[in-house]
Amino acid sequence: MRSVQALAAAAALSWLAISSIALAGEPKQGGILRMYHRDSPGSASIHEGATYSMNVPFMPVFNNLVIYKQDVAQNSMDSIVPDLAESWAWSGDNKTLTFKLRQGVKWHDGKPFTSADVKCTFDMLMGKSPQKFRQNPRKSWYDEVADVTTSGDFEVAFNLKRPQPALLALLASGYTPVYPCHVSPGDMRTHPIGTGPFKFVEFKANESIKLVRNPDYWKKDLPHLDGIEFTIIPNRSTAMLAFVAGKFDMTFPTEVSIPLLKDIKSQAPNAVCVVTPNNVNTNIIVNSSSPPFDNLDIRRALALALDRKAFISILFEGHADIGGTMLPAPEGFWGMPKDMLETIPGYGPDVNANREQARKLMQKAGYGADKHLAVKVSTRNIPVYRDPAVILIDQLKSIYIDADLDVVETANWFPKIARKDYALGLNLTGNSVDDPDQSFYENYSCGSERNYTNYCNKAIEKLFDEQSQETDVARRKKLVWEIDKQLQEDVARPIIFHAHTGTCWQPYVKGVTVMTNSSYNGYRYEDVWLDK
Amino acid sequence: MLAYIVRRLFLMVVTLFGISVIIFVLLRIVPGNIVDILFAAAGYVDPADKANLERELGLDQPIVVQYLHWIAGLLRGDLGYSYVSEKPALDEILPRIPITARLAGLALLFSASIGIPLGVISAVKQGTRLDYALRVLSLSGLSLPSFWLGLLILMASVALFGTMPIFNPEPKTWTEAIAIYCVPAMAVGFRSAALTMRITRSSMLEILRQDFIRTARAKGASEASVNFHHALKNAILPVITVIGIEAAFLIGGLIVTETVFNIPGVARFLVEAIRWRDYPIVQNLVMMIAVVVVLANFTVDMLYAVFDPRIRYTD
Amino acid sequence: MAAINYDSELKRAGANATHGWRRLAFLAQRHMLGTIGLFFMLLFVWAAAFADLICRYDPLSVDSAHALLHPDARHWMGTDSFGRDVWSRIIHGARISLAVGIGSTALGSLFGVSIGLASGYLSGWVDLVFQRVTDILQALPLLVLALIMTAALGPSLPNVIIAIAIPLIPTVARVIRANTLALRELPFIEAAKSIGMSETRIALRHILPNTLAPLIVLATAQLGSTILTEASLSFLGLGIPEPFPSWGRMLSESAAEYVRTAPWLVIFPGLAISLAVFGTNLFGDALRDILDPRQRG
Repeated sequence: MRSVQALAAAAALSWLAISSIALAGEPKQGGILRMYHRDSPGSASIHEGATYSMNVPFMPVFNNLVIYKQDVAQNSMDSIVPDLAESWAWSGDNKTLTFKLRQGVKWHDGKPFTSADVKCTFDMLMGKSPQKFRQNPRKSWYDEVADVTTSGDFEVAFNLKRPQPALLALLASGYTPVYPCHVSPGDMRTHPIGTGPFKFVEFKANESIKLVRNPDYWKKDLPHLDGIEFTIIPNRSTAMLAFVAGKFDMTFPTEVSIPLLKDIKSQAPNAVCVVTPNNVNTNIIVNSSSPPFDNLDIRRALALALDRKAFISILFEGHADIGGTMLPAPEGFWGMPKDMLETIPGYGPDVNANREQARKLMQKAGYGADKHLAVKVSTRNIPVYRDPAVILIDQLKSIYIDADLDVVETANWFPKIARKDYALGLNLTGNSVDDPDQSFYENYSCGSERNYTNYCNKAIEKLFDEQSQETDVARRKKLVWEIDKQLQEDVARPIIFHAHTGTCWQPYVKGVTVMTNSSYNGYRYEDVWLDK
Repeated sequence: MLAYIVRRLFLMVVTLFGISVIIFVLLRIVPGNIVDILFAAAGYVDPADKANLERELGLDQPIVVQYLHWIAGLLRGDLGYSYVSEKPALDEILPRIPITARLAGLALLFSASIGIPLGVISAVKQGTRLDYALRVLSLSGLSLPSFWLGLLILMASVALFGTMPIFNPEPKTWTEAIAIYCVPAMAVGFRSAALTMRITRSSMLEILRQDFIRTARAKGASEASVNFHHALKNAILPVITVIGIEAAFLIGGLIVTETVFNIPGVARFLVEAIRWRDYPIVQNLVMMIAVVVVLANFTVDMLYAVFDPRIRYTD
Repeated sequence: MAAINYDSELKRAGANATHGWRRLAFLAQRHMLGTIGLFFMLLFVWAAAFADLICRYDPLSVDSAHALLHPDARHWMGTDSFGRDVWSRIIHGARISLAVGIGSTALGSLFGVSIGLASGYLSGWVDLVFQRVTDILQALPLLVLALIMTAALGPSLPNVIIAIAIPLIPTVARVIRANTLALRELPFIEAAKSIGMSETRIALRHILPNTLAPLIVLATAQLGSTILTEASLSFLGLGIPEPFPSWGRMLSESAAEYVRTAPWLVIFPGLAISLAVFGTNLFGDALRDILDPRQRG
């Protein structure tokens, strides 16, 4: 009897489970996704921006040539799928990448999409077009591209100066949409036209951004939503409360800090929350061109004095990663293994021993308990910059450094850094793609605009080029680890931590995937649907 | 009288002109302009692009030229373009004014309807415990920072109702509309109410001391009649003038309250524009505020001159 | 405006003694509220002066293990998100608020008196120019002008003091000017002129002391405004920067994240601001009643 009952129960349960999965699996059409936005983007043109404040609301308006598969959490070369390009192929010498483009795609204003649009976009990015972007933060991504040629309306080729397998990764980023030829950059800043699943409706600065479904989207039956509405609420408390009260369907991606996450779970236990790295690391920029940090001993002492675990426990209650330049595993693809990391000075687990060593280095440089070094730690006037700076100042006390906090207004931050008018700076670096080409060249190559410390090491740059051209992934990884280790040992830009943040949504929101190694690439929203 | 008005108008123009120069210069001695902010968001500084952008926005021209350009535009009704949104400044400012105006109006209503009666009571019952209590109340009203009051209200609403009023430009129900406008208006109006109460009290006291009140009492008029017909009518003039001036000074309270309650009004817009160094918006908003204040003062002075023949103006 | 004759006033009010401490005691008792206000003010001054003695913890040092604690026996007002003791930050914040408040009031009064005196006494084109300058400064609300000035000068303690002082100048100048104009016509000034005293000496030795009473009343009234304005500026993020603990900035930081989870972070800084301003206002009111009974309200 019992076994029959058990069997019946099991059958019933499994039938329920299967049917609920099947039922849940049927996306419903309709509904408007309401999200809050934490701050007003400067404009609506993704190519001119460098913050995911812009990607999140405007990525749904566009398509790329290729894109990271939106329901796969970890971005990698394996997860790159066709978007506007149906297929692609490298030439034999790996110097030409040819794309065959999709036919029958229309821009939101009805005009047809052709290869000319691709050429226009990348000519503008490379500075070769008479139409100019006001700002072009990712111009350096295309340094190895000699030119872009079209062959007919539906084929386009990137001709490179030397092989660069990572180019595909850069093209798959949320930062690389395809723009139309027939709309000026100025208009793209105020009323962007794309080919994507959602059409732009309006952008009221500091108030709201509205997108509406594109009924002529070239992917059949997509998107599921009727529209997306962003309400701009800079005050986090207000925004969270509104989410908990049900006024928003989803929090702004990666905006929920760990302390607030606990609060949300207690107030809204049904909310679905995930915590992921956002591939933004907090680091210290060191001005090694003037005293006192032109002294290698003092720089090394700085590296040894860091108690990274303390930062992480204070700011993230333990939810953050320690690593080098590249995001550590398992979410990051290129991070150094733990045992390799711990051999680098400052990364070892014994903080006291490290600090002893640091103090000896400081004494060698002439400082001690009776002679402290006074420096200023400069940072931007926003909490996510200020808070780690406060902790850093506290930690520097342990190696005879008396640091003062120098808070700089946003408008003056980059000019000040560019002028080298700082000793130590607390900085955040966002990596748009989890690829060494992007991180290394942007932040460490001689003369790069974002190389704030002016670190210049020709030998290492040769290694950058070597890994960039390497087509075998395993070999490339080993090279990347070597480079990363050396960068940390040179104390170019000590990486303190790789933050983790949370994203929450109401239980009826389905189809959301939060990327684990990038916060710039996962916002197409064509798969999202509301189960209500 | 006419000569006086003309003179005052001329002085107003001079004052406004002076303000325009000051605000213009102040904004530009700030190190860092919109171009720097835009590049800061991008995380790099490219000198060539920066120079291009500055030329496009006219920021590379000498200050005097830029100033004349602005003033010429103002006189034509062209307020220039916002650097951030690239839309005409007027299009950005105008839609936000009604929201702030509603808040300000409600705040003034609140302040008058609470402040005046309490002030009268306080004056009539001068010296009693009630008077003392009301005076302490009004002083505490003046001492509370309005943003703190706003925060306390938010906390209370969360504790009591589990939610807080989120601004919605098109409220669907009356309860929603009341929540999103009246709650912040009360936070702003509390301070004004306190001030109104004090001024009402002091001007009522002045009047009550005067001879014509004694005469009215001697003639046998009732207390109520004395208080309301004779005293209040005369005391009301300074009160109205203070309310008129308060209207202009509400801006300070509106700025912080709109920030706390996340209301997209013109006061919060000013702070944002200052942060972004959006010169066209800041300049024009400040000029508008100045015009409001100057006009309010002018109106107040005219009211005085017209209604109170005892006052003559020597300068 | 005649100089107040305190003796007759006091006699009229029924004082028994009119000299020294007893007079003070009499006044204190008569203006109870003002005494309370003075008490509050002195409390804050004392707290600011002896901050290091009455605080167990350093307001700036970070202690992550003890973040966001409820107020208890060890941390009387709890801790903030960095584990910093809130009580210490409030007491040290008193230093900042008083420094800004007194500094900007003093600065504003200094310039206001100079302009008002010069304007009222010298008349002519000096008066015209200064009048226009004060008109212009007065045309903008206090917070707006202070906002623009801190944005112009950059966030730092001295800049905030200057930024708040400047909008105060016109009010002081107006009052001093009005008083100077009235005093100028009095017989004893004529007498001084006739014996050949220089204009400057007359202005400084005879006129200025008689304008002190309304000046003091005005300054105490303005002290409350300056403390509130500094708090508002810091709340908006455009006032005192890190690491100085400013009450206003403590409120903005806590408002952003902890309105619900850590209400003590919102309550105590606001309470501190309110009490400081309240004390100043009470005292200022009483002072006005004593020194300038015409304005009694």
